[in-house]
Amino acid sequence: MIAFDLGTLVLVACIAFLVAGALAPLETLGWWAGWYGDGVDAADVEHEAATATRVPVAVPPHEHYVVFLSGIHSAASETHSAREAHALEELRSALPEAAVLEVFPYSVTNRALTGERYFSAFWRWLLRAKLSRRRAVKLAGFLINIRNVWQVGVSADRRYGPYYNRGSAQLVVGHLVRRGYPLGGGAPVMLIGYSGGGQVAVGAAPFVKELTGGDVTVVSLGGVLAADPGLLETDRVFHLYGRRDGVQRLGAFFFPGRWPILSYSPWNEARRRGTLRSVLIGPSDHTGAGGYLDANTRAPDGRTYLQITIDVLSAIARGANDELPVATTP
Amino acid sequence: MIPDAARLIADALALRADAFLDTLELGRPGLRLGLMVVFLAGLSTAIGQSVTLFAHRVSPRRFAASLLVQALLFVVGFLAWVAATWVVGGTIFDRPRPVVLAFATVGLAHAPQLFGFFVLTPYFGTPIGTVLSVWTLLASVLATAAVFDLTLVEAATCAGLGWLASQLLQRTIGRPIIWIGRAVRRSVAGVDVRTRPLP
Repeated sequence: MIAFDLGTLVLVACIAFLVAGALAPLETLGWWAGWYGDGVDAADVEHEAATATRVPVAVPPHEHYVVFLSGIHSAASETHSAREAHALEELRSALPEAAVLEVFPYSVTNRALTGERYFSAFWRWLLRAKLSRRRAVKLAGFLINIRNVWQVGVSADRRYGPYYNRGSAQLVVGHLVRRGYPLGGGAPVMLIGYSGGGQVAVGAAPFVKELTGGDVTVVSLGGVLAADPGLLETDRVFHLYGRRDGVQRLGAFFFPGRWPILSYSPWNEARRRGTLRSVLIGPSDHTGAGGYLDANTRAPDGRTYLQITIDVLSAIARGANDELPVATTP
Repeated sequence: MIPDAARLIADALALRADAFLDTLELGRPGLRLGLMVVFLAGLSTAIGQSVTLFAHRVSPRRFAASLLVQALLFVVGFLAWVAATWVVGGTIFDRPRPVVLAFATVGLAHAPQLFGFFVLTPYFGTPIGTVLSVWTLLASVLATAAVFDLTLVEAATCAGLGWLASQLLQRTIGRPIIWIGRAVRRSVAGVDVRTRPLP
């Protein structure tokens, strides 16, 4: 009886997972079709672009701009993760000349899961569950990850990727403009995509470049990356990973374009061109204690895993790409 | 109501030959069930392939109408293929049967395409579509075997020859019907849905 119930539960869970997958592209497609009103921030971006090309900006307010695209655990632009919030503070301290922004990368309509949505109360409940200390309740919060994983799939899918990634880019540029980014001024932009945010960053980068006119660098922090065509249209892509990070390896497994045998895939072509570099930055894991943002665990060189991550990110932001301050791995 | 519709569909999905033999016994309700399955399968498949409609930014009203038209065209394509298969079964294999039996059973065999909307699934959608096609093909062979009382190899040959004949018809005397179908789709959607604009 128990086995039957468990089997039924697993079957229902599998069907729910697949149904969630089939519904996943609808937000993007509906947005693109204009079913939810105007495209997100489209008017802002176009207006700013038009004025920026007429009035050249002499001095950008910031030397460069860093946009952080969170991992699949996130439910809104502003992170709920204490580790992530601390990491962003550290990054701002390390790069005082840069504007560091956060963007929720799993909704092209710029709606946080906990924001103006039909089921926002459900997502708020899940977020509370995720932050709960009780393990069983915490597990329910994992539905947020599943929802966002499918959005990463939308970004990586050749059918939907162009629309999703365009929408994400408009979202990023909208945030940049609101932080004083001078469109057409050529200020460099660095997109940091953590975990699933890495794929969104790679997909959005060519559109961000087109809309801003600036130099765009993508940094994937343990990103689960597909062989996205955006890899070939981005000035430079750094795929940073830790030795214990098994999650980032999923991209290399699931996306055939990452396999060495498909030598002319965008991934392999970008590696040949030298615009894509994979960098082992230390012994870190994907997330949590021992993860990239852990401020307690230390590498053999004495730095915390978070410090290693911040050192590498700030070196890339400053253009010191040849000698990245990576840690030795035991 | 069609008796045992859910059971017959479930059995067809499980590729149980009994489902198709039982449908033969149903008479007119069996035909209704078969055609209903084909129409819903066409609708589901149209939803699975709707990205082009979204890409063209069609309005929700045109979108819904386009799905209906595509479902109806799916039914027309099905009728042409099964009619051709029925001719092959009656002549080459010398198994004359009422054509409605072929529509009913092979219609039921399209049950796997009821999951056609899963083709929308990111990344896995295309392989899912392939699996559904193969699944439908296997069910159709079983249905053909049931209708014409053929072995599986004979049924596969019969259905294959029927498909070839329907393709030949579409490219010859069926051309005006294809053109009309395309014109209706274009007129309902308001755009040429054979192309997909990129951002």
